[in-house]
Amino acid sequence: MYPFAYTRVSDTREALNAGRRGGRYIAGGTTLVDLMREAVERPETLVDITGLPLGEITVTERGGLRIGALVTMSEAAAHAKVRTLYPVVSEALELSASAQLRNMATIGGNIMQRTRCTYFRDVTADCNKREPGSGCAALHGHNRTHAILGTSDACVATHPSDAAVAFAALEARVHLLGPDGARQVPFVDFLLRPGSTPQREQALRQGELIAAVEIPALPRPLRSGYLKVRDRQSYEFALTSAAVALHVRGGVIRQAKIAAGGVGTVPWKLPAVEQHLVGERPSQALWSAAAAKAADGARPLQHNRFKVELLKRTVERQLRVVGGTK
Amino acid sequence: MSPQPQAAVGAPLSRVDGRLKVTGQALYAAEHDADGAVHAVIVDAAIGRGRITGVDTADAEKHRGVLRVIHHGNAPTLPYRDNSGSNNPPGRRLRVFQDDRVLFHGQPVAVVVATTLEAAQHGASLVKVGYDAQEPSTDLAEAEPGKPTDYARGDAEAGLRSSAVRLDVTYQLARNHHNPMEPHATIARWDGNRLTVWDKTQWVMGTHDELAAVFDLPADAVRVINPFVGGGFGSGLRCWPHTTVAALAARETGRPVKLVLSRRQMYFGTGFRPSYEYRLRLGSDRRGRLSAAIHDIDAETSSYETFTEAVMGAGQMLYSMPHVSQAYRTVPLDVNTPIWMRGPGFASASFVIESAMDELAHELGIDPIELRRRNEPSEDESSNLPFSTRRLRECCTVGAREFGWHRRSPKPRSTRDGDWLIGLGMAAGVYDPGRYPGDARARLDADGTAVVEAATSDMGPGTYTSQTQVAADALGLNMRTVTFRLGDSLYPRTSPHGGSSTMASVGTAVVDACNQVRQQAIRLAVEDRESPLYGVDTDEVVVRSGRLHVQGNPARGETYRSLLARNNRSHLEANGSYTGPPSPARHSYHAYNATFAEVAVDATLGLVRVRRMLGVYDAGRIISPKLADSQAIGGIVGGIGTALLEHTVTDHRDGRIVNANLADYLVPVNADVPEVRAIYLDGEDNDGNALGVKGLGEVVQVGVAAAIGNAVFNATGRRVRQLPITAEALL
Repeated sequence: MYPFAYTRVSDTREALNAGRRGGRYIAGGTTLVDLMREAVERPETLVDITGLPLGEITVTERGGLRIGALVTMSEAAAHAKVRTLYPVVSEALELSASAQLRNMATIGGNIMQRTRCTYFRDVTADCNKREPGSGCAALHGHNRTHAILGTSDACVATHPSDAAVAFAALEARVHLLGPDGARQVPFVDFLLRPGSTPQREQALRQGELIAAVEIPALPRPLRSGYLKVRDRQSYEFALTSAAVALHVRGGVIRQAKIAAGGVGTVPWKLPAVEQHLVGERPSQALWSAAAAKAADGARPLQHNRFKVELLKRTVERQLRVVGGTK
Repeated sequence: MSPQPQAAVGAPLSRVDGRLKVTGQALYAAEHDADGAVHAVIVDAAIGRGRITGVDTADAEKHRGVLRVIHHGNAPTLPYRDNSGSNNPPGRRLRVFQDDRVLFHGQPVAVVVATTLEAAQHGASLVKVGYDAQEPSTDLAEAEPGKPTDYARGDAEAGLRSSAVRLDVTYQLARNHHNPMEPHATIARWDGNRLTVWDKTQWVMGTHDELAAVFDLPADAVRVINPFVGGGFGSGLRCWPHTTVAALAARETGRPVKLVLSRRQMYFGTGFRPSYEYRLRLGSDRRGRLSAAIHDIDAETSSYETFTEAVMGAGQMLYSMPHVSQAYRTVPLDVNTPIWMRGPGFASASFVIESAMDELAHELGIDPIELRRRNEPSEDESSNLPFSTRRLRECCTVGAREFGWHRRSPKPRSTRDGDWLIGLGMAAGVYDPGRYPGDARARLDADGTAVVEAATSDMGPGTYTSQTQVAADALGLNMRTVTFRLGDSLYPRTSPHGGSSTMASVGTAVVDACNQVRQQAIRLAVEDRESPLYGVDTDEVVVRSGRLHVQGNPARGETYRSLLARNNRSHLEANGSYTGPPSPARHSYHAYNATFAEVAVDATLGLVRVRRMLGVYDAGRIISPKLADSQAIGGIVGGIGTALLEHTVTDHRDGRIVNANLADYLVPVNADVPEVRAIYLDGEDNDGNALGVKGLGEVVQVGVAAAIGNAVFNATGRRVRQLPITAEALL
């Protein structure tokens, strides 16, 4: 591990000052410390923000939910409002990591977590994300778990978070605090596709701090759920996943919010699938036809070709589970 | 000699060392206290083959706390004397820091010694190694195999040609790593020219002999200590290069050195179960009677050593058939050398043979159990020896009954539970347990307690407990008055703790030593005028709970304590031994099982989930039923891993292992392990060991992967001939 300075801050101003000077924020540390041990991350200064007042879940004026950045994964998953209003978020969180990790890891850290690409995590391998310009070892290497959507020749790594897939589906917004004041970024714009700069993963400005993730109010009734497909039953990242939320009234789908995980360089919103569903009546035929669009634009690699079909089936299954087959 | 009553053997006892383990008092290799120990971290080669062109240690040496960086450019020449009789395979073993050649990705190229672990780790990351890299050859399918080891009986080609039904199938088995919880670790300390090493090993004598050979030391100048092993599964059967690195670093720095492999380093710093490509051609008549089998077996080994394992055995004797030919070729690759892993050879071969038998059963429309019955041999056809015991048919019958085999539909894809397709499968298993010479020492003290010692190991089966049971009965003592000690090269020499050999081999030596001590006491008593047993025939005396008495007359007797006190004896002592199985062999001696699996396969998503498993074992006498259950569950869990999850992935471009961690190398977690049940056929096998055992630890993993694969076929109608079976094969 490279030597680093560690400082604790007790208010937001102090944090932003430290952040502006190049400090890296740390909360649960479940990803960052791991990567520091592997020398993948070499921050000079860690700014411990666990003392900041960002640990609340509140109902917004319009009836959405604002989840503070320092709320732990387990707290968010168990929160009564999250459970009842957005089961897809609770399920995504509970299917992530292990109980021990969920007790430490925060919502802000969860959406900031870095890829599980094994070449990224191996400092002796070429990786444009870790070392811009060095090349992408995964592109023609072992890439079974890698992305099929949103990739570039510079990077094919998936975003590992499950919760982020649910947030992307629900069109959440990220509340940021920065030296120049507060701002909000739509979730789908917060996480960046690799393009030619895979080292840039979030639309964060120097020193900006995540304050909260806000899930907008959605029409009721809203049925939602998360399906995670993986080799073993627990404690593994997704091969594919689907976050589905449907608002059905009068037997007609009025709104559909859908995103996929395990397949994209960022949580992959599926607008074509959503559009196919809106205005239609739930049926198995509808689920199949809509899900057939889930992998549009996919660019599979040598070992992950199966994800194209698996993604469609994952989305179809979760449409049926959430929307029923009536 | 009158037979001793059996009180401890056969009782379902808890581990005698359980409390030490759950309270953290059991010290593992890296936890021993060596005064003034400093820390060593190995720098691994970042290329798969080639030469080191330079090692720049300047930054590392400047780092605070770093004491020394050792590499081929400054390391002393080490004698590396030949070490015959070791578990080193034929070839030229890797010699650490002796030249500039890199033979595989991850090979140790330098070691950084520092006052703290952190300084050593960081120092290791600061060492800059220059390479002249060549393209490595790491792909089993692409490389040239070496000369085959052959076996033949009858005329297999002709037999196959004339068979009414022929099967020609090729299976691919992934490389597996043992991944014990405890990492491999060594603490080395020199006192002048004497070397003491605490090392994670399944064989203290093996590490002892290797270090004596590498450093050219007299045998009595080396001591290896390892009282507890946090899992092994075979990875500790050999002394690996890092142990030498630790001893070398300690000598060069003049300080005790602790070296712990990282989880990542365990993927190339120790061995693995080799990957296989295994083609099997089977011929039978329409009633399923086998006539011929041709086995073409390719397995990976390193470029510098030829590792082989017992992958040919099962194909020669599991089923009756006149014609068999086998060619077993090792394929030298730019990888480190493999090692035995649970059920070595047999587990790999049985996956192929038992999957193929299932394919044949389906082809012929015969129940898989019935097909195996029709091919039951009356003797071992590879040796023409009678079986000492072979109760495979009974394993199948009991298993079928207990598992509800009659509920299995022979038609694949015919049982559904919602989105899940349900299937049942079974496989037979066989293992050739080891029986090796070894010694033990027993000592009965004047206070009526006993200590028994042997340089064996306990990687998890519960050697401490089971040997205490055996010793307690032979001495006529209660469990709590007997202490069994292991894991020190100063104790009597034993063979490696592996191959299901320990109870038959060490156990027999323990019984011998304890019998001698008991006989000494009995003789002392019957010759002692003051003893109540004076004049009694020695054959008439038994010992229970530390009291010698006339058999059938418990009132006439006295305790060990009073006997030894009156005779002014501080202790009685004896060395026991086991000389190995009868030679030439009189019997074919094997352990068997029938393993049953029920799986659910998601019909559209291709996920496989095991629902329940049963193993029925013909393993001879069960010394310790509770420990046996732990063995069976562990073996089945290991088999689930091999079947569905475990796969060490190599990037063939540079020989890098890309999933060298427990997040990406998947082992079963609790959620993957369903109801597991084990049944042991009551009985014993007295072919050449005093205890009637056949060994259990290996056979429990043999056949598990095939049973699961066969259940997947029954569920889906898909035959997956590649391990592990993952979603992409079933979409």
